[in-house]
Order: sequence, then structure tokens, then C-alpha cells
Amino acid sequence: MKQEIDALEQSMHIKDFLLVIKKKSDHLTNYFLISFFVIGLLLSFFYDTWQIGIGVGGLLLIAYYSTKIALPESNLYQYVLSVVLGIFMAQFIYQMHGMFEMHFMAFIASAILITYQNWKLQIPLMLVVGIHHGLFGYFQYLGFDKIYFSQLDYMSLQSFIIHMILAGAIFSICGLWAYQFKKYSEAHMQLIFNKREIENQELKTANYELDRFVYSTSHDLRAPLNSMLGLIEIAKEDTTEELMLEYFRMLKGSAKKLDGFICDILDYSRNSRMEVNNELIDFKTLLEGVTENLKFIGDNNRVVEFKIDLSAETPFYSDKNRLITILSNLISNAIRYQNSQIPNPFVSIKIETSKMETNIVIEDNGIGIDKESQSRIFDMFYRVSHESVGSGLGLYIVKEAVNKLNGDMKVESEIGAGTTFLIKIPNQQTKS
Amino acid sequence: MDEEIAKPTFKKILVIDDNPTDRYIAKRMAEKYHFAEEIILQESALEALNYIKSLETTPELLPQFIFLDINMPGMNGYEFLEEYAKLSETIRTNCIILMITTSIHPDDFKRAENNPSVFRFLNKPLDREKFRIIEDEFLSKK
Repeated sequence: MKQEIDALEQSMHIKDFLLVIKKKSDHLTNYFLISFFVIGLLLSFFYDTWQIGIGVGGLLLIAYYSTKIALPESNLYQYVLSVVLGIFMAQFIYQMHGMFEMHFMAFIASAILITYQNWKLQIPLMLVVGIHHGLFGYFQYLGFDKIYFSQLDYMSLQSFIIHMILAGAIFSICGLWAYQFKKYSEAHMQLIFNKREIENQELKTANYELDRFVYSTSHDLRAPLNSMLGLIEIAKEDTTEELMLEYFRMLKGSAKKLDGFICDILDYSRNSRMEVNNELIDFKTLLEGVTENLKFIGDNNRVVEFKIDLSAETPFYSDKNRLITILSNLISNAIRYQNSQIPNPFVSIKIETSKMETNIVIEDNGIGIDKESQSRIFDMFYRVSHESVGSGLGLYIVKEAVNKLNGDMKVESEIGAGTTFLIKIPNQQTKS
Repeated sequence: MDEEIAKPTFKKILVIDDNPTDRYIAKRMAEKYHFAEEIILQESALEALNYIKSLETTPELLPQFIFLDINMPGMNGYEFLEEYAKLSETIRTNCIILMITTSIHPDDFKRAENNPSVFRFLNKPLDREKFRIIEDEFLSKK
């Protein structure tokens, strides 16, 4: 399966590359074609061949550009170009009444076609030149008038054959060059691609190892903390002394703070390196899980009221883990920074899903954030005051998660009144 | 603060954990909340396996619950489960395995819940609430 994906990526690279060649070559071709048309006009002066100069030249340009416009995805226009260039040669030979030097035009055409890196383009040109020479040469030597193929009175068959062989040699060599160029480019690209593959693999391995390291370390840090918390619970139950209970309460607080910090670091590390994984989101269940976990945090043990308002027009697809992180962190902040002076603390969670995006508004009537701090709360480890209970990582993690989902976040707050977080997350349904 | 002296809910439980503090906590908790009459502690998965195997002929002496720590040196929780699956039917129907850990990694949770030998996954530390949950779920499954 991985090989299929790699092959697909590779073929897309080659496609992109061929597109670049095509664009550059087409650009050059435009200049050449215009020049040939102009040359045709200039040559018309010599023998008054205006009708041919404008008529044939014009038709050739129309043929090329109309094919290009009609079938932009196909390569047919390049083969048409090959024929067009051949006929330009015929046109110039006629216009100069058989001047031999005009035959060089065939070789110029052959060389121009190399730029497309496709040897097959030589074939139409060869055919046109061969048929033109054969036909016109034959008719002129039969005695027909006004063919103007050659200024020689006579060309031996031997001469003609050698001429054709040498022309064939030129076409073959140009074809060979076109082929070689393409092969070289492909080999070069393969090399680059392979190098990238190796680098990618190394990066993946490094990431995996870092992940395991962080996980192991955090586990080793949390295990003894956990033992401490367990012992504190037991000790609390074994005494009724107020002083001891107070000590245990403070011990528990510190240990929990440390644990929270370790969890935040683990969260951050996972968030920043995990790939985005889109799936169908059920906000109701998601929120239930989040609020269930958060019901009892906060030192005052006052139960905060959750006002939940969910509405969805269409199904919503996004990364579930990151959404959980965003909602957990914001809601837990709202609970932690509640205003102890007022009787009814609440957190209002409003989630509105539409076809393009989901709007999440989390509002509380807590202590609020002052204007100067509002721009800095998303910084790593920034805490508004020394009374802040968190690690300072929470909002940073939320911001990273929102960015990872290509979303947007705003905060509105007033000291003493409360805080509102407004988040916009695009709906990945249109992309899945 | 002590509970009224109540009849212990279960006869015997086995706690497998390499950390002596955690073993102590589990034992105190189980005693405190009268979860079991007898609490056997094992510090390694290997020794625990041997202990269980030795009771094969006397199934009434097998522990009703096995609290299995995931992260242990030598044989870890998952490796224990692999060996446990090879034990006799008698043993496996008599013992209920609960995996306990400090881990919050969702992979551990999924892996534990997907293992057919595991009844449930629990976070350390064990407390009154968790014992109650175990009791409730055990009784409702009966």
C-alpha cells in the first residue's frame, strides 16, 4: 500500500515536471511562430508572394493555436506544431523560388522540437519534408510550371537520396537528443525523490523516538507523584486532626499541580507532532466527556453551571483529539478562574456548525483578563499573575491546536466581568 | 473516618505491582473499604503467574480479582496477559483482571479494553469511588 502511495506521489512529481517543460517550450514556440510568420511576410517582397506569405502563414498559425485552445490537455498541438514547421519550410522554399538555403528551415524546425523532450515529434516533420520533397520535386522535374521547388534544372536520384539520408540523420539525432534529455531529467528527478524519501523516513523515525522518549519520561515522572497522591489519600483518612488535614490538603495541591504540568507538557508534545486526523465529530458526546472530567477541578469546590447550546446544519469533520484539547483547556480555564465574589458562576458553550465551518463560543462570568495581558496569554508559559494556578501552557496548546486545524481564535474580556473565547474551525467535510 | 465494620465484599484479591508504595496503597485501600478479606501482593508478573498456577487444583482459593499494573520491569502487564491466556479454563473463569496504570495515553486504554482477558481499565490511584465502580459493574454483569 505504501508503495502505491509512493508511486502515485512520484508520478505526480513527473507530471508537474512535464508541465513545466510544456509551459516553457510553448512560450518559446510562440516567439518562433510569430518570427516565422514575419519572415514569411519579409520574403514576400522578393517575388511578390504575398498571397502565399499571408495565406499559408496565417493558416498555419490558426491550425496551431486552434488545436492548442481546443484541446489544452492533450499533446496533439505539439504534433500539429511539427507539421506546421514543416509546411513553413515548404512555404519559404516556394517564396524564394527554390532557393536551396531555405531547406535549412527543416533543420531549424527539428532543433526547435527538441525542447519538448519528445522524440516522436520528429516524425510528422519528417513525413512533411519527405512528402513535400518527393511530390514537388517529382512534379517540377516532370515539367510542371510554377512549382518553384528547386533552382537546379536537374537533380539526380542519387543526389536526392543522399539529401534524404542526411536529412534523416539530422531528424534522428534531434530525436535522440530529445529522448536523452527526457531520460536524464527523469533520472535526476528520481534521485531527488529518493533523497527526499530517505529524509522523510529519518524524520519519521526521529519523531517516533522523541514521542516514545517524552511518553516514557512523563510516565516515570507521574508514577511516583501518583504514589504520593495515593498515600496522601490514605493518610487523610487515618487522622481527624485539623492541622494534619491542612498539611495533607496543601501536599495534595502541590502534587496535583506538578502532575498537571507534566500532563500539559505531554499534551503539547503530542499535539505539535501528531498528524491531523479528520473524522465525523459528535459535539454532544465530546462535550459530555470533557465536562465530566472537569466537574471537580478548582479549589473552591463550587459547582460551575454549564450552559450548552449546540446547533448543526451539516455534519462536521475535523481532528477529534485536538478539538478535545481545545475545549478541555478553555473550559477548565473558565472554571479555574471563576469569580468567587458572585453567587452563580457559569460557563456557556455555544457550538454552531455550518457547511464551511464551526463557530465555538466559550463565555464565562469569571475574573476576566486585563487588556495588556490579552495579547500575551497565548505565549508559552505566560501566566497573568502569581496567583494563576495553571502551567502557562494551556492557551499556548490551544492556539497551536487551532492553527493546526487552520482555524481562527479571538478573545474578548473585561476585568471583573468575564471572558469570551471565539473560535472558528473549518469543516473538513468538503475536503474528505 | 473509618467505615463501619462491614462484611468484606470479596474473598481474595491479587495485586501485581513492582512499586512497593503502590502495593502498600492498594492493600490499605482495599482494607479500608472492606473490598476483600484477603489481599495477596506480588511484586513481579512472573511470580504472580506461578502463584496462580499453584492454585489450579484448588480453584476456590483463586483470587476473584487481579489488579494488574501495566508498566513493570521484566514481564510487563501485557506480557502477563499473553501468558495468562494460555492458562486453564478454570483459572480464567475464576479470576477477573483489572488493568491499572498511571498512564493517560489513549493507546494504553484502547489496548487494555481490547484484550479479551481484561475486565476493565483503571487509573491509579485506587480509591473508594473506583472500588465502588468495580463492585457495581461486577454485580451488574452477573
